[in-house]
Amino acid sequence: MIEFLGYPFFQRALLAGALTGLLCGTLSFFVVLRRLAFVGSGVAHAAFGGVALGTLLGWPPGFCGLAFSLGVAGATARASESSGVTEDTAVGVFTVAAMATGVVALGFVKTNVDLFGLMFGNILTVDPADLLLLAAAATGILVALAVFFRPLLLASVDEEGARVAGVATGAMRLLVLTLIAVAVVAALKVVGILLVSALLVLPGATARPLASRWPGFLAGSIAVALAMVLGGLLLSVALDIASGAAIILLGTCLFVGALVATRLRVGRV
Amino acid sequence: MSVGARFEGVSVTFGGRPVVEEAAFEVRPGERTAILGPNGGGKTTLIRVLLGLLAPDRGRVVFLENGREVPRPRIGYLSQRSTLTADAPLSGCDLVALTLAPGAGFGGLGGVRKEAHAALTRAGLPGEKQDLPVGRLSGGQRQRVLLARAIAGAPQLLALDEPDTALDAEGLATLRRLVAEEIAAGRTVVYVTHDSDAMGGADAVFHVDGRVGTGFAEHAHGSAP
Repeated sequence: MIEFLGYPFFQRALLAGALTGLLCGTLSFFVVLRRLAFVGSGVAHAAFGGVALGTLLGWPPGFCGLAFSLGVAGATARASESSGVTEDTAVGVFTVAAMATGVVALGFVKTNVDLFGLMFGNILTVDPADLLLLAAAATGILVALAVFFRPLLLASVDEEGARVAGVATGAMRLLVLTLIAVAVVAALKVVGILLVSALLVLPGATARPLASRWPGFLAGSIAVALAMVLGGLLLSVALDIASGAAIILLGTCLFVGALVATRLRVGRV
Repeated sequence: MSVGARFEGVSVTFGGRPVVEEAAFEVRPGERTAILGPNGGGKTTLIRVLLGLLAPDRGRVVFLENGREVPRPRIGYLSQRSTLTADAPLSGCDLVALTLAPGAGFGGLGGVRKEAHAALTRAGLPGEKQDLPVGRLSGGQRQRVLLARAIAGAPQLLALDEPDTALDAEGLATLRRLVAEEIAAGRTVVYVTHDSDAMGGADAVFHVDGRVGTGFAEHAHGSAP
């Protein structure tokens, strides 16, 4: 496996993995804290409609995917704020509409579409342009999270208390959903549409039972995401299996391990 | 300088059903004001309008300082039912510090942690419990964290929603002492209750009459309006 480290494609894959891990690990902290696992998955899956429509129209699929994810994120936040529809209901409706649009669009596409790559990604095919886009998106998202960390954290654990303290909680909800949408499109090539949602949930879900306060929870979520992506990448090369699937299966093993460790720790107390 | 609030023709409907109609009364600065009434009468609705958590269908709440209209001040709030996540990964000190400094930024809570610890101590939470995650605190200790959050940073106005049901007996005794200290410091306290003496007596009492909320009869225990 050592000889792989000398190949530029593998070096790009490692760098892309580290950026995706850092990005998704940080966002996963808020996804789990705000109980947005289903909403995050919905926003991720909505990108499929945009990518398919972009492919049909000859527009950049990534940007069309981002537009669809942002559209579903915005519509979900708007519906849950103003019309009394719960967030999970709203995202359930808008996501299937976006995906159905994608299926219809793909029916009219005459060329071959790499559906497997779209759904499950292939980190080993990341090119310098993908890497640049991923680095730009990761920088933007991490800066936004750092700037709004305190109000986001307060609104995530006590929305009413945060509003009384002067936090614009509606804007915070929209910010998180928007950052999820951007992260989904940025990480599309690495893990694909279906698996990126797992990368937004598993790191936080694994770190949560192991940490009692937010600094440990946040650091743990990032560490788990990095371990998932980089470890999964090495496993995929060693075992010659799909990289996206290897990343998620490793993450699932870490999650189960964390649950067992927590159970053992509680049992000992 | 103390801040008061004036409700000007405030009306609120939920799903077309009027909950409060044309509520017009004044919470005078530096006084204890009690809002009484039956369950479902609109008491909590009025507090939520005061806090800006609920926009009235008609009318408005004006904040007054020395007779002049001022923007909504920082209001300390103790709700009847806390919306704080039970397993929030925060200590009591984290929560109070975040409430004191909820603006943009990542860390930088060091400056307000001392103030947060002071508020927690005033609220009766022992020092060794102040940095524990709230999920590891007992119900009574969590109530003290929420009480500390309400009084932290010396808010000009303190709003309490049925504190006699939200707190245990010891917590209620602590709250009575804190309310007396806040009033002595010239701050304004408004509370929703079934018992106007719950906070050691009220200077003004307003009755919310049933669903519609009309007919605010006022009884002054202290200075008359």
